[in-house]
Amino acid sequence: MADQGRQAARPARSLASKGGVASGGAAGGFFQTPFGRFSARNWALIFLILMIVIFSFAGPGFFDIANFQNIIHLNTGTFLLAAAETLVVITGGIDLSIGYVYGLASVLGAKVMQILGAGGMALPAVIALGMLAALLVSILPGLGNGFLITRFKVPPFIATMGMWGICNGVTLFLSDGFMPVMGAPSQINDIGNSYFLYIDPSKSIRFFSKPPYITLTNIRNILRLVPNSLFLTLLVLLILGFVMSRTRFGRHTYAIGGSMDAAVRAGINVDRHLVMIYVISSFVSGVAGLFNLFQTGIGNYTPSGANYELMAVAAVVIGGASLTGGKGRILGTAVGVLVLAVLENGLQIAGISAFYRYIGVGVLLTIAVIIDRAFPDLF
Amino acid sequence: MSTDTVNQKSSLQERLGRNWIGIFIFLLVLIFSLSARAFFSVDTAQLIFFNGTEVFLLGIAELFVIITGGIDLSVGFVMGFSTVVASKLIVMFAGLGLPPLASILAGSVATMVIGLLPGLVNGWLVAYLRVPAFIATFSMLGVTHGISELMTQGIPTKNLPSLAGMIGNGSFLYRAPNGALSFFARPQVARGQTVIAILPNMVVFAFFFILIFAFILGRMKFGRHLYAIGGNIDAAIRSGINVKRDLIKAYVISSLFASLAGISYVMKYITGKPDAGANMLLEAIAAVVIGGASMAGGSGTVGRTILGALVIAILETGLRIIGMQTFMTYILVGAILILAVIIDQIFPNRNR
Repeated sequence: MADQGRQAARPARSLASKGGVASGGAAGGFFQTPFGRFSARNWALIFLILMIVIFSFAGPGFFDIANFQNIIHLNTGTFLLAAAETLVVITGGIDLSIGYVYGLASVLGAKVMQILGAGGMALPAVIALGMLAALLVSILPGLGNGFLITRFKVPPFIATMGMWGICNGVTLFLSDGFMPVMGAPSQINDIGNSYFLYIDPSKSIRFFSKPPYITLTNIRNILRLVPNSLFLTLLVLLILGFVMSRTRFGRHTYAIGGSMDAAVRAGINVDRHLVMIYVISSFVSGVAGLFNLFQTGIGNYTPSGANYELMAVAAVVIGGASLTGGKGRILGTAVGVLVLAVLENGLQIAGISAFYRYIGVGVLLTIAVIIDRAFPDLF
Repeated sequence: MSTDTVNQKSSLQERLGRNWIGIFIFLLVLIFSLSARAFFSVDTAQLIFFNGTEVFLLGIAELFVIITGGIDLSVGFVMGFSTVVASKLIVMFAGLGLPPLASILAGSVATMVIGLLPGLVNGWLVAYLRVPAFIATFSMLGVTHGISELMTQGIPTKNLPSLAGMIGNGSFLYRAPNGALSFFARPQVARGQTVIAILPNMVVFAFFFILIFAFILGRMKFGRHLYAIGGNIDAAIRSGINVKRDLIKAYVISSLFASLAGISYVMKYITGKPDAGANMLLEAIAAVVIGGASMAGGSGTVGRTILGALVIAILETGLRIIGMQTFMTYILVGAILILAVIIDQIFPNRNR
């Protein structure tokens, strides 16, 4: 698919150079200036800031630390999935299975905890074994994808789409025909939903757990800062960002995406590298699914038509990556996720039907690519 | 014609490899027939086609785009969008005082026309703005999803005329026990006697359009152009093919077939909802790829796509008849999709 896109782009560009997209055009002068170059390259960031300003005026309660933390907290899964997808997209591939690996890890973790908990095992052991099972199993789809793509030369689109079907089927089996899996210990909620800091302005500061005299009804009276989910998101984004920008592994990934042939000739073990990329992608999605279990306390299957994987691809592309590979940054992807997340949250708070979000995603995505195509030398 | 035995042997093997899908369908039917006595019957065969109508239509929708080397992710939600549009229009026309049949016909035709729009935009984005097909059609997925959710506000359409259900679940021909034939209307018979229903209406509806477009793809210049574009777009441009116009046509046809699937859904289930085709994308692409088309473009035929869709339809209905849960369908469709590509790599040129 990647080759196809590249192939289709080249002749089309020469065709459209006269009447198609204005490459430069009237605005050419502006985009030669340093500020113009910066704004074209970081249009997603500028759009994000504009959105935050507009929504702050449009909806009461949008510009609020609690709401911002909410946006991060509710989009932990999206951040992790998009970060995972970024790695695969940089190699020029695509991973469509991550959305269902996410659901599989969540359901499997809950199921294991449910069974072990009913068996009367000690609480820490139940949680640890549930996590272990979910994380180990989430590696398998990635291994399968990697082997199919490298050993059997199955196109990534097909291999991961097949894996999507398989993971969905296994999830359906585990969750007894799409019932959320209950019965995981309630203590995992405390891990998934608590904050680093609890500040009661008049009395005390506590770390990681709310003061005992605060109940769920008056929890809004105290200030809660830095949700645990933010730690997890930052941890994953920082590790992957560091790996991609500062290590040889990252440089090899960009090399493979830029030109597979050149990477082979440069002595990179492309097959092994690709398997590792798909395993990492699958594993990070498993972490996301497991954390979803910790946040909600139940094993959530991935509903049909949720399109988590496509949303992740959207965030990656809005963040400046190209589906032909060789380009993209974890930081850009994080901005892409924030654009989608703020759009959803802002529309809800402004009282506009959240269904506009779907339309917004579509329009933004197309704009992202048109900008990318119009200024090929900027990126 | 030189025919020494070694060559013949390898060509037999190759022929088996190329036509593995036929062998596979035969094995599927054999296994299901052995495990459930009721499976091997005309009724079940008709049921397979009836249940699979949407898979057939969406498979053809995806085929036209995959031949050009593109992909259409929006088919499932264009189908959902069409179920909403069709059902709303039919209810509206009926509310205006039109007789049921007229409002169903008017609503369906209007939906087919509206159903061309997503494809028009997709094709324009892909051909003129050089947006990769994956992105353009995913955008359209979002837009059609959003619009259809806005139209229904989360409530599936209700109050369609009951005639819609009678058309959707009825058959073309009925044979009463005394040998009398009647078209469209189920004859009244005494209790205990069975009426044989032949050709479900929706299957006739689907294959009417599929045959027309099979002819267009296989026999007309436009069809040859699509293969040329998918095979080598540079060569297609240089040989004077109007690539942009043909690409737009391919996406419009894709979107038309998605809306036909939507209309079929409305007739069968007498409702319209945005997520009607939400999980159909895997099956649509699987049908095309199992049918031997390459995602790189330039190959694939209507006939083989129908065979690919038939594999999925047999699996779905067969597993239900022998009492397996639906999760097996997902696993098997995913596995067969991957297997199809691997087998095609061992035996290339399946589509010649």
